Amino acid sequence: MKLDHFETTILFALVCSVILGLVTKKTDEERLRYGLYCFGCFMAALFGIGWAMRLLHG
Amino acid sequence: MPANAVTAPESAPLKSPILLIPLSWFVPGAGHFLLGRKGRAAIIFGTVLLTFLVGIAMRGTLFHPTDNGDVLSRLIQFGGYIADMASGVFYFAAVFMGYGPLDVAGYAPDYGAKFLVAAGLLNILAIVDAYEICTRQKD
Repeated sequence: MKLDHFETTILFALVCSVILGLVTKKTDEERLRYGLYCFGCFMAALFGIGWAMRLLHG
Repeated sequence: MPANAVTAPESAPLKSPILLIPLSWFVPGAGHFLLGRKGRAAIIFGTVLLTFLVGIAMRGTLFHPTDNGDVLSRLIQFGGYIADMASGVFYFAAVFMGYGPLDVAGYAPDYGAKFLVAAGLLNILAIVDAYEICTRQKD
């Protein structure tokens, strides 16, 4: 399987968000919202750290 | 029945954590299935399986405890070994079938190893969740 860095990170964020959403909240709506929140945080970290590395390394 | 009798709310019967925890570890989602949370059980099983299979498909390495190297290296190897084993039946199936990653260069095997570890760690979260449901700390 050949995935690039971005695809791999998206997949990793997806599976982690699913489980984190599933095990932390009490109702299905809360689980969905928390899962989406976690996925959003992963994406923010992905793009934030990606841009930080680009700017710092040049 | 007296008019003021309090009836217990309908919920899953209490299972023994002694049975539930090893079963949840060996088959991801089995604890939730036994507790009547079949939808969540299917999602956990599917997610842990997907994570593990992606790790295998990327030719990730399975960690093994070693006596070589410094303390930090040994700690990382041992921690990775525990996390790999936390995937339960998937780990044992891979070992039984003689899974051994090819010695290939590139970033994919590194990511694969992380996926294999993540599968076990996600299963540990599911085990804790099943335990909390079992002991009525959450629904």
